[in-house]
Amino acid sequence: MAETTQPAPEKDTIPFYPDHVSTEARVVLYMLIGAVVLGVIGLLLPVGLGTPADPMDTPAHVKPEWYFLALYQVLKYVPKTFGASLFPLAIILLAVWPFFDRKPDTQRSQKMRAIASAVVMIVLIALTVWGEVS
Amino acid sequence: MTSFLRRRFPLVLAAFFIAIVVFLFVITAQGQATPSHTEGVSDSPQAPDWDKAAALNKAASIHGEAVNTFALPVPPTQDPCLHCHILGENTNLWMPLSRWLLFGSAALVFGFGIYRSTSVFNTRKKWKPLAARTAEWVDERYEISEPLSKILNKPVPRFATRWWYCLGGITAFLFVIQGITGIMLAFYYKPTPEAAYASIQFIETEVRFGSAVRMIHHWAANFMVIMCIAHMLRVFIMGAFKPPRELNWVSGVILLSVTLAFGFTGYLLPWDQRAFWATTVGSEIAGSIPVIGNLALVFLRVGWDITALTLSRFYSLHIIVLPLITVAFMGAHFLMVRRQGIKEPL
Repeated sequence: MAETTQPAPEKDTIPFYPDHVSTEARVVLYMLIGAVVLGVIGLLLPVGLGTPADPMDTPAHVKPEWYFLALYQVLKYVPKTFGASLFPLAIILLAVWPFFDRKPDTQRSQKMRAIASAVVMIVLIALTVWGEVS
Repeated sequence: MTSFLRRRFPLVLAAFFIAIVVFLFVITAQGQATPSHTEGVSDSPQAPDWDKAAALNKAASIHGEAVNTFALPVPPTQDPCLHCHILGENTNLWMPLSRWLLFGSAALVFGFGIYRSTSVFNTRKKWKPLAARTAEWVDERYEISEPLSKILNKPVPRFATRWWYCLGGITAFLFVIQGITGIMLAFYYKPTPEAAYASIQFIETEVRFGSAVRMIHHWAANFMVIMCIAHMLRVFIMGAFKPPRELNWVSGVILLSVTLAFGFTGYLLPWDQRAFWATTVGSEIAGSIPVIGNLALVFLRVGWDITALTLSRFYSLHIIVLPLITVAFMGAHFLMVRRQGIKEPL
């Protein structure tokens, strides 16, 4: 008989509870340990504050948070209106992407998307690092 | 004795609570009648001029020269030893005594419960654990066990247990961490230009574990942005945004922009030079967007300049509006994932 000679096929699902929940709980535990470590570091070396805000005194190097640094760096070299509209345009492009890219997925298109996003990320990271050191 | 207690248990309970309320009332009234700790302090020459300090604060406004009210000695009408005051050490005997009574009786009840449990341990087949009984009590009334078991027994595909499927969950838990530490910080933060900087200094130096909580809030915010982007890249590359999951992707894009808005609004709150000028630049960039730029600028700054109103607006956006939006879209995000299942890899 077929079922006696062949090994039982491995189940391709696991129960959500308790198997998957316990995995998630382990991740949460690691993150909590990370938070405690961060807290201990914070007790020894606090985040700190700069000098109090003074509207009369513009500091020499004004920088936004690191996740806006790429945009900030671009704005130094392109017209302001164009640069400023890049960010909302990027968000809108991301939001409408699935309504245009509707074909069933293939290995090839997946590879193309991986390459495209790698290029975009490398450009963004390069701009961020450049903005950070300049 | 036991039957007496059992039949009149509600009465005994009511009497107990009434006694506690009366007792607390008596103690409170007594505490108000004898403000013993203020004597001899009021004529102290070291007492600061509080009217002058308030006037100075008002005048210093946003120029960052506000008096650090936390650093001044407490006004003469207040008890300088906060923790003595809480423990009731230098007020009277009744506060510690009543606390001993309250917690002591709770401990007695707890101890009696443990004693009872051990004494009936041999008959344990007849009774169920408290948790099981509570679950049954709730289930009898609201019948949640069936839908709950349906939720809990939902099979998870084995491919979805790889680590890169975890990125979204990590982002969600980072948001929980941000919520908890944010509430802790909001207990002490003051959203006015006069007091914001000083209150952050107070959190960093005076509040117990304040600098730890601020550190966690600061870094978890950065990790949340990173995890958002990582999750988005994973979904994008694996094609999980394709039909029929478009709306889930759209809600994810909204969640990403809300996360960035969290970062932008939170950055102003310490009210130091970096915060002030980063917000100046950021809102200027928003102001040069065509067509809606001026609207965005005026909405963000509440006028043309960054003032106390800007701080209030950023604070309310940061702690009320954005969390509500995040919770709503996160709920929709999770429900859609649950309904449609996780996209199978090729």
